[in-house]
Amino acid sequence: MKRLRWLQFKSIHTSIAIAFSVLIICTTLVLSYNTYRVSSEAVTDNSLQYTAQLVEQVSRNINTYIANMESISELAARQEPLRRLSMLEDSDGAETQRIREETEKLFQSIVSSRSDIAAIMFAGTNGVIVSSRGDAVPKPYRELSLQDWYTQAIEAGGQLVISSSRVQHLFEQEYRWVVSLSCTLPGREEGNPGGVLLVDLNFSVINDLCSRIHMGSRGYIFLLDPEGSLVYHPQQQLVYSGLKSEAVDAILSSADRTFKFEAGGVRKLYTVHSSGYGWKTVGVNDPDELVGSKGHMQRVAALWGILCLVVALGISVMLSRRLMKPVKALNSNMKLVEKGYFDTRTDFDSPNEFGRLARTFNLMTAKIKELMEQVVQEQEDKRLSELKALQAQIHPHFLYNTLDSIIWMAETGKMNEVVRMTSALSKLLRTSISKGEERVPIRRELDHIEHYLTIQCIRYRDKFTYEMEVDPDILDCLILKLVLQPLVENAIYHGIKNMADPGHIRIRGYAEGDDIMLLVEDNGTGTNADNLNQMLARQAEVSGPDIGGGQGVSKGGGGGVGLHNVSHRLRLNYGEGYGLRFESDWDEGTTVYVRIPLQRREE
Amino acid sequence: MQIMGAGRILAVAALLAIAAASIVLVTVQNWKQQQASVIWFMPKTTAPGTEFWQVMLQGVHTAAAEVGAEIHVAGTAEEADVEGQIALLEQAVREKPRAVILAATDYNRLVPAASKVREAGITLVTVDSGVSEEQAASLIATDNYAAGRKAGRALGSGLMLGDTAVIISFVRGSTTAIEREAGVRDSMTGISGLRLLQTRYSDSSVEQAYELTRELLEEEPDLKAIAALNEMTVVGSAKAIEEAGLAGTVRLVGFDSSMDEIAYMERGVLDATVVQRPFNMGYLAVRTAAAAAAGERVEPVIDTGSVVITRANMYTEENQKLLFPFIE
Repeated sequence: MKRLRWLQFKSIHTSIAIAFSVLIICTTLVLSYNTYRVSSEAVTDNSLQYTAQLVEQVSRNINTYIANMESISELAARQEPLRRLSMLEDSDGAETQRIREETEKLFQSIVSSRSDIAAIMFAGTNGVIVSSRGDAVPKPYRELSLQDWYTQAIEAGGQLVISSSRVQHLFEQEYRWVVSLSCTLPGREEGNPGGVLLVDLNFSVINDLCSRIHMGSRGYIFLLDPEGSLVYHPQQQLVYSGLKSEAVDAILSSADRTFKFEAGGVRKLYTVHSSGYGWKTVGVNDPDELVGSKGHMQRVAALWGILCLVVALGISVMLSRRLMKPVKALNSNMKLVEKGYFDTRTDFDSPNEFGRLARTFNLMTAKIKELMEQVVQEQEDKRLSELKALQAQIHPHFLYNTLDSIIWMAETGKMNEVVRMTSALSKLLRTSISKGEERVPIRRELDHIEHYLTIQCIRYRDKFTYEMEVDPDILDCLILKLVLQPLVENAIYHGIKNMADPGHIRIRGYAEGDDIMLLVEDNGTGTNADNLNQMLARQAEVSGPDIGGGQGVSKGGGGGVGLHNVSHRLRLNYGEGYGLRFESDWDEGTTVYVRIPLQRREE
Repeated sequence: MQIMGAGRILAVAALLAIAAASIVLVTVQNWKQQQASVIWFMPKTTAPGTEFWQVMLQGVHTAAAEVGAEIHVAGTAEEADVEGQIALLEQAVREKPRAVILAATDYNRLVPAASKVREAGITLVTVDSGVSEEQAASLIATDNYAAGRKAGRALGSGLMLGDTAVIISFVRGSTTAIEREAGVRDSMTGISGLRLLQTRYSDSSVEQAYELTRELLEEEPDLKAIAALNEMTVVGSAKAIEEAGLAGTVRLVGFDSSMDEIAYMERGVLDATVVQRPFNMGYLAVRTAAAAAAGERVEPVIDTGSVVITRANMYTEENQKLLFPFIE
């Protein structure tokens, strides 16, 4: 995973942009590469095809030249003067001279129309020499008869001999580059040739033809004769001096085809075409040059690829930004909400997921705001009700009455009772004032009630009795402070006070499952329990409890500030499902049920 | 963090943009470089009919096509126009070609101009004739000493005890002449009993060489071998020998080639001539100049070699191309 960490971007915007980019890069790369490959193959094929065509054309042209020479030599050989000349025995005499002149005219007439033919010459075995060049002085017979064209033609015995390109030195002070075609002519005697007929082709014809061919800047064409010597090569000197070499053997043995050859670190692409007469026309391409044009294509492909890439990347960044804009807005709004600005609203017009998300978001913030307000309100309530509870407990009237009772008892000399009442009052005050704890052990709450009941008992001159039956197990459980006192107060003032008979108050307590039940029972006049229950329920529904309303009830019901506040506090502190419930029958008494969750003191 | 993400994308985009820009730049630069790869070829003379330089130019063009260079030929009509060549070098400094291939018309006087070329950051390669001090990246030339030795060997064969030989040089102080003479002399000293006369000078004049040889043939009856160190001298000497009817008796070995020399060789007056390879010189000069301009290491001296041509081998496939260059 660690390796992938750099792929985990902090924002979806980045991720989307990167994903797009990767996609685009891959596509572009594949496309560019393919385009390049296909086009470079096409270009290579094209250039090779072009080369092959060129080579073939050159080969054909050269063939035409040689075929022309051949036909000239055949034409000359058929002519009567030449035939007679080759049959002559001696080189002197008037007859010979006449035939020589005729032959010379014949040669000149053949050559005159052709610029590609350098010379036609006949050298008879008898020493007679006739050429188309009347102006030039031919070399003596003994020298000419040693030259290759002569000796080779004699050796070939009537076959055509075609030389490679060479310097022809038939005439004094004349050195011309030619390609020679020579053959023997029949002599007087069967089997002995009468002489050799030579047709020289201007080499410049072939040179021009081949040197005009350009195949790239480095490609060229060269010609090989059957022996493997170079008829034409643009860099003949380099080849002869060993600076360059051609794969002559491979070419000679090769059929007409294109093949690669590598020697001494130089790669060449040979395209061979065989002319007639055993010559080979060879086109040479530099594979690197093909690659060179490939390099150009590579650059072009890469250039366009990158251009497309940049544009596409720009668009992808823009797109992803546009796409992620609502999310970003939502995100920043969320931050505002985090800081407590619940009035933040996110408004998108779009009906898509983001629009729905924004609406839900708005709903959510509204709800949170509501809840927050509720919580604030509830806290406020709690504080108020506690204040009230406190006020209720040390109700001034209660204090006055108690103190009045003490005075009265002191005057009447009931010192015992004075002591009991005063000490109870003192303890009562102490417990109610003591500490700021909200919850106290049930034991303490019961102590408090005990003091309170002691005082009330004395005040009402034993108009009622009381008892407490609380399961010792729950004595250490916690209860909201000052819950029971208002209930007991209620029982005394509304249940027992108006009774003729002495009343009885019983306080019971036990655990019931996870809850604790505390019961305050009296056997007083009773009340309309349904009314009370309904009222409490109504009060609960008006969730933000109206303190004024509570007071109203307490005033109207005359039940002190008690029941509603108690009920309200219980619900606030313990939540729904806990609180007060009344059961009452007329003249039978009332039972108030207090349900609180069982909470042990944490120590 | 989001800003960083966006920054990263921007960075990627920027990188790509830079890559694209650099590719464009490289392409443009390549193109520019190709445009700029002009090489000046400065032969000693551009006069028509100077076969040696024309063949060299063929080699130059052949190599230029291979390395993709454009050749600008700058030369004077007269080989002796040293000032003209200096002016051309100064022009080269102004026009800033990629390289200059110089065939120096003077060993010493061209040094300041050559150093200016080098200081201008232009690759300088000398061909055939160099300049003193190491101004050029490379000298592409015939090893004239080796050529001289070859001539000496060709001349020395068949000489006997008591024979006299002479070297006819063409100009005092020419490095080519000095090296050729040293080569001939060194290879001849090995022949015992040979009397080697003091070197004579033809001043590159056919007439003077003719007169000189005539006098020598008269004065020195035992003279059996003459080494003529350049083409003009060869022609003059050959003429004198032929006129004296001493062809075949007095051996003559020369340098370079011309129609006259070939004619004398065919007539048996000139026994051998040592020819250079101007095509190879031109070819190698351009290749070397291109390599040096590209910052590659090149050999300071490149010998293009020489070939001894005799009557027997003058029409061989290899040699006829040297003797009878095909000039379009």
